[in-house]
Formats: sequence, structure tokens, C-alpha cells
Amino acid sequence: MELTRREALAGGAWGAATLLGAGLLAGGCGETRNPLRAPLPASLRLPKRESARIARALNRVGFGPSPGQIALVARMGLDAWLNAQLRADTEEDDNLRLRVSRLPVYNLPAGELLNYPQAAILAMLQQGAILRMVYSPNQLLERMVDFWTNHFNVYALKGRAAFRKGTDEVEVIRKNALGSFPAMLRASAKSPAMLVYLDNQANTGNGPNENYARELLELHTLGVDGGYTQKDVVEVARCLTGWTTERGFLRPVGKIKFDPDHHDDGEKFVLGHRIPAGGGPTDVDRVLDILVEHPSTARHLARKLCHHFLGEAGPALESRVARAYTESKGDIRQMLRPILHAPELVEGPPILKRPIDFLVSALRALDADTNAGREIQAYLDRMGQPLYQWPMPDGYPDQTAAWTGSLLARWNFAHALAYGAIPRTSVRLSQLASEFDAPRETALMALTLGMTPEDDQTLASRLSKLAYGSDGLKLGAALCLASPAFQWR
Amino acid sequence: MHKDWWSCDGRGVWGRSSREPARKGASEFADLSRRAVMASAMMGAVAWLAGRTSALAQVSVSETARKHERETLVVVFLRGGADGLNVVVPYREDAYHRMRPSLALKAPNDDRAAKNDRVLDLDGFFGLNPALEPIFDSYREGDILLLHAVGSQDQTRSHFEAMSAMERGLASADTGTASGWLARYLNASQRSGSSPMRAVAIGPVMPDSLRGALQAVAIGSVDEYALVGADREGWKAALRELYGSGDDPVSAAGRDTLRVLDALNRLDPANYRPENGAGYPTTPLGLAMRQIAMLAKADVGLETACCDMGGWDTHVAQGRSGGWLAGLLGDVGQSLAAFQTDMGPRMAQTTVVVMTEFGRRAYENQGLGTDHGRGSFMLVTGGGVKGGRVLADWPGLERHQLEAGDDLRVTTDYRAVLAEILRTRLGFADTPSVFPGFSNKNPVGLYA
Repeated sequence: MELTRREALAGGAWGAATLLGAGLLAGGCGETRNPLRAPLPASLRLPKRESARIARALNRVGFGPSPGQIALVARMGLDAWLNAQLRADTEEDDNLRLRVSRLPVYNLPAGELLNYPQAAILAMLQQGAILRMVYSPNQLLERMVDFWTNHFNVYALKGRAAFRKGTDEVEVIRKNALGSFPAMLRASAKSPAMLVYLDNQANTGNGPNENYARELLELHTLGVDGGYTQKDVVEVARCLTGWTTERGFLRPVGKIKFDPDHHDDGEKFVLGHRIPAGGGPTDVDRVLDILVEHPSTARHLARKLCHHFLGEAGPALESRVARAYTESKGDIRQMLRPILHAPELVEGPPILKRPIDFLVSALRALDADTNAGREIQAYLDRMGQPLYQWPMPDGYPDQTAAWTGSLLARWNFAHALAYGAIPRTSVRLSQLASEFDAPRETALMALTLGMTPEDDQTLASRLSKLAYGSDGLKLGAALCLASPAFQWR
Repeated sequence: MHKDWWSCDGRGVWGRSSREPARKGASEFADLSRRAVMASAMMGAVAWLAGRTSALAQVSVSETARKHERETLVVVFLRGGADGLNVVVPYREDAYHRMRPSLALKAPNDDRAAKNDRVLDLDGFFGLNPALEPIFDSYREGDILLLHAVGSQDQTRSHFEAMSAMERGLASADTGTASGWLARYLNASQRSGSSPMRAVAIGPVMPDSLRGALQAVAIGSVDEYALVGADREGWKAALRELYGSGDDPVSAAGRDTLRVLDALNRLDPANYRPENGAGYPTTPLGLAMRQIAMLAKADVGLETACCDMGGWDTHVAQGRSGGWLAGLLGDVGQSLAAFQTDMGPRMAQTTVVVMTEFGRRAYENQGLGTDHGRGSFMLVTGGGVKGGRVLADWPGLERHQLEAGDDLRVTTDYRAVLAEILRTRLGFADTPSVFPGFSNKNPVGLYA
């Protein structure tokens, strides 16, 4: 029987609690091991104006604050925390690492994963992703993993892409999410999951298939207005011919290989560059070189990143981010630096949380102990964002207008979470609330929103009218999570 | 119990009649392991996702005004390959009777045949399987339009491939977009302030035709769309207050959602009584059509509804006027008739399409059933439909007229029918975005 995270750490927690009085834990350790499982600071600070800004930053850069995190970040300073997030070098706690790293989807080759039903594979992929988003101290990294997963979208239900997606996530996305965009692009182009999803394995000299070539230009690099023509798509497709997935005896091996017989080896012209004949497997590398250096790629990525983190960003900031891409040869950290330090991060208009943002921020805010298993995933599905299951190559939309239809599912999730009605997920509301030396509405709003009652008087007034006792506390927590304010980040 | 289409081994052939050549359909030698994976995935999906709902919201790709604001489109998918030749029967074709000595239904005026085995005359050439008698009057009154020799370009005769092609709005299943045709239509026809229940699928799983749809919900029944804890004092009232006044998109959406919930409460699904004496059969299809009628009447902003019915893979002992196929048709007939009656004048703003992934082979097989074929029938009813006819570019059933010597050829692309409905009834002009790669040469003439 699996231990819940709480059970596994019960031994450690009591020991740590004795150190609390000495304030050792509270003393500016930043994001150390077990940030969520650590006992709460002796008195949770109440929010001030500064807290709302920090809560906003935590929601933008990561997936929202966990109890006590706003105070911690306030002490170390927001800039210091942002820089630490960019470094992403905090160790995940052992329990999280063990839980996720032992999932077969990340360890077994696609051929062996075929022993599992596809539904189980999908469940594992989602479980790993959600657990990391909820519990990892490297929140920016997890947000970038989610961003790039959508950017290089693979629809897990196409063919056997699901069985290949775990490898793709480790080798393509996670490895490069805060690293080098060119490296990620090259890894993606050679990823069996991508090959299968966008049909590049069906792309041969005699029967070209433009699917991957088109999405490579339109979505992954230049962008739809990036200045390429249909001819370029055709020529890029020609360069990409000849790659296929390697098969063992009846089962895929999980690698790709180049088949010269199916490659179109003639001379090609891509975006004004001449690729000489006879390039063979190096044609794809030449194309990718051209694409990563194209100015439209810098602009396209800058625009997407600014949009994701800031909503609306002016052309000046987008240019700065694009320049950072060019000057650093595609270093993602360098692109993120101006975004994270832009005033719009905490001062700009709010961005609507997508279902994944909402779900994870709710679990973090209430310090939930969850296995992120099928019960949680079913809620995510009802909200409209079952991970890895968006059929189009453009990934889940990042616009406000896309996600306003999921409210009933969000309300039902908020209610179920607060009332402990989700199997294998639990919250300890009484303990959390009692850590605040304040009325209940103040405590709940501080916990979930980083706000004071003055910030949202309608909500505060409603909360104060709820019955006393544990039921009122649950209803109050549910209401905060279901409130309009909690839907924005 | 008959095996349903998902456990069909896909070979498409059950024994052979002496006249049939050995046929190498693509499905016979298709990748067995892939089929096994997909079959288990389907079973796994159905079991795992039971009761799942999915509310996807929408991106404004391009706003195309819908001329007919309150039109509802209902798509009924018969899964397993419905035998069009025994539904809309070409009773005048000698070949039909020759190729189906046991299964062929008889001409309306065939005195030597039992009365039950005679078709109901549709237009002097085609006749209706008598099991569909419940909708025969509606046909004669001009409300129901039948089409024949309709299908896709998918040659595999595989359930999975053919369904996948049709639900994605493609010619065939090989490659192409993974999103559903209805999803593309819904996303492209988004209006601001539209309902969280624009599209509803009645069933445990979101159908592929709605995959990628923002604002689609899959529910087994209407009462699944409910606010948990609504009976808890203060919960609903608190939500109403919090979402009551903001003018941002989220507050507006909250009010829309509460309005839908209120409308469904007023509907009182548990005590719903169909109007005008309509009697739905207590079959899954009957219950699904009943849910759809409820939603259409509740004014929750429903624009598209999907449901499906399995069991059409009649490889063995298909029956003639009685038996397997007749039982299925009786269900369809009664459910459709009940729906029309229940909707009453609302049918004028509704369109129902009944379709299937392929038809069945012209020859009966040794098991007195039929194997996978190509062209089949389609049914369209609703506002503006010029019914009382059978539309078909009839290719004939002589050996040289059949596809691969076995199957009714497809002479009308299914997309032509769907595109015409979108354009004419739903006022949606951008059908190329819904059916990429398809250009409509000649109008089908559903409404002319």
C-alpha cells in the first residue's frame, strides 16, 4: 500500500517542529527541502500590500503560493526569489523525486510500456506532471515545462504517441525547458513522439508529408507571420524526409533512424538558403540551424513568452526579449530575465488561470496532500484541460476567452477539495486556519489569495457570515477557491 | 448477446458465399497489435471515463455570425456500419434480391411475400424497412429526407478508421487533423456571451467529432450537470453574490453558468414529461434523445448535441423484417418519432442527422449476415428539409457497378451533406475550415 506523502514524512515533521521555536526554519532558508511538508511557521504573517504583489508573482512565475511562502519570499526579497527560480537549482524533496521518477513512463522504453493500457499511461503522465507542479520548489521550471509541452504539443491519443511521450518529456522538454531553445528544437525534431504525432515518419521522397514541416515553421519557430511561403514548407518537408521510428521485433524500440532510401537528397532552397544535394541526415540539422537563427523565431518566441507571463506586453519589452534570444543564441533563461523583472509582472492586468493553473494553485494554497491520481485528473478533464490530450499542434490555448466555460467544474472542484471529498487528496483546514491569529475570513483570504479583507470586501463579508465551526471553515475555503478573485493570476 | 463493433476483429468477413471472390481488404491484414491496442484503449476509455464531463471553453478564431440564432443540430451516429441496403431498400434492383436470397426484403406489391417482409414504398424504387414504420408517416408528410450511397473515401472497411475519418471530417483516416469536425465548427462560430452548454454529448465519452471543442460537455444525463453542494446552505447564494456584479469575462461566465443551472432546475429532469404524448423507448438511444429534447427546450443555449448507438455490426443472423437489424431500426424509428413529437414546433429550428461509418456488403454471407461495405444511407430531418424523397446518385448493384465487385459505391460524400446543413441551416459559410481539403462540387439539394 502506498504511503501518502504525509505518512512518509511523519517521522521528520515532528523533529523539525522542535526547531521551530528557535526559528531556525523560519530564518531565510528560502526554498529548501520539503517546503510544503515543513511545519508551518509559528505564526503565519498576515498580508500587507507587499503580499499581494508577491502572491501575484508566485502565481505568474509558478503555480501560486503555498502556506507561509509569501512571508518567506517577503523576507528574502522578491528579486532574490526570482533569481533563485531562474537558477532552478533547489533540490526536489526525496519523496517527490522518488514518487515521480519511479513512474514507468519515464523509465521504460515505449516497447515495454505497451504492456500497459493506454489509459494507464495517460494517467501516469498526468500524475507526474501534476505532482511536480504542486510540490516542486522549482516553480518556474515547472511552468516552463508546461509552456514548452504546449509549444511542442504532442497529442497522446494519436497512434501510440502516448507510449512515447514520457521519453519526449524527459529528453526534449524537461532537459531544455530553462536551457537552450535550439537544443530543445533539435531534440524535438528527432523525438519519436513528435515524429508519430505530426506524421514525419510518413514523409518520404516519393510521398512527401508536409504536416511536421508546416507546424515546425508555423508553430515551433517562425510563427504564422514569420515570412515563409508554401514553397518553403515544401522544401523543408523535403529536407525532413527519410526519418522513421526504429522497430524491434513487432514492437517499437523508441528511437528513430534515418533511411537513405526514403530521403529526398536533391538540392533544396529554404528561406533563401541553399542546401546542397547529398546532405542526407544532415539536411534536418541545416534546416534547424536556419530556423533558430531567423529573426522571426526570436520575435515569435518573445511574443509567446511575454503573453504567457504578462498577458499584454508592449512592443518594447517584446523587442528586448527577442534581442536577448538573439544575443544569447536562444538561451531561455536570458529571455525570461527581462520578463520576470518587468513591472508588468506584478502590476499589469490579471491573466485568467487555465484549468491547470487553477487546480494546482488550489492544491498548493490549501497545502493539500494528494497523489495527483485519476480522481484529480478527472476534475481537470471536466474543466477541459486533460493534459497531453489537446488534438491540435498549437497546444492548449493561452487566451482568457478560451477558459471561461469551465466554471461549474471549477466550483465543484473547490467544493470537493475543501470538504475532503476527493479520494487520495486531503487538506487540513483547521490546522492551517488556526495558525493565523485572526478572524476566519482574514485567514482564508490570506491563505488562498494573499489578500486582506479590504481587497475584496464582498468576499470578506460573505465569509464572515458563514457559520462557525469546521463546516463554516470548509465552506469558506471552498468559496475562496471558487471566487472570481481566485480565477485570476 | 451480439458482439458489438469494438470487438469486431476488423476482418470484415464472416465466411464467404460461394459467389464471392476471396477479398483482400486492407482491414484483413491490418496491424493486429495496433487494433488490439486501440480496442483495449476504447474499452479502457469507456470504463475509465464513465461519467466524465468536459467543459472546454473557447478561443475566438473568427467570429462568423450565425444567421439562425436558435438552431440546434443533433448528430446521431450509428456505430458498427449500418446496413443501408436493408434500411432504404432498392427493391426494384434484381441484383439486390439475387445477392440476398435470405435477407432481401420484398417489394411492396409482392403478393408471394409475407406482408411483414414487404417494404414501405418510398418513391417507387426504394422502400423503407418496415421496422422503421414509426417514421414512415413523417416521411410521407415531407419531414424526413433519406439519402443513399453516402460515405467517405476511406477504403479500409475498418470501424476505427472509418469512424475516425468521419468524426474528423476527413476523406479517409490516414493523416490529417486530429480535431473533430464539430469542434472546428463550434470554435469558428463562437459568439461572445455564449453558453457553457453550447455542445453536449450524451454518453460516457466525448466523441471524436467534438475533440478539441471549447465549450463542450459530455454527460450521461442532464442531471449530471449540477452544482455539487447546491443543497448546502449558502453555497449557491454566495456564488450568486460573488459573480453577480463584475463586468469581466469571468463574472459574466459565472452568471451564464448560474442561469443554465437555474434553467435546468426549472426543467426538473427527474419529473420531465414529454409533450404531445411522445413516448420514448427506454433504450439508450431513446433516453439520449429525451435528454437532448429536454436541453433544447430548457433554453440553455444548446447548439449541438451528439449521441450514438452501437450494435449495427450485423455479421451474423441479421434477420429480415424481424431479428437483429429490425430491432435496432425499431429503436431508431421510435426514438426519432418520439423526439419529433416531443419537440413539436421546435423541430422547425432543429436539424437531426443520422449517419453511420459505412454500409455493408451487397452480398449476404454464409452466416445470414452481411460484412463490411462502403456506401450506406443517411437521414436528415428538421427545419427546412425538403423530405419525402430519397436522394441518391444511384450507382446500381450489378457486379460491374459495385466497388471491388462487392460493395455499394459511394457517390455522395458525407461531407457534402453536413456542409450543406452548416451553410443553409446554421448560416455558417466557412465550411472549408470545417472540412479541410473538401470542395463541394454539386449541392446535394437537401433544402431545394
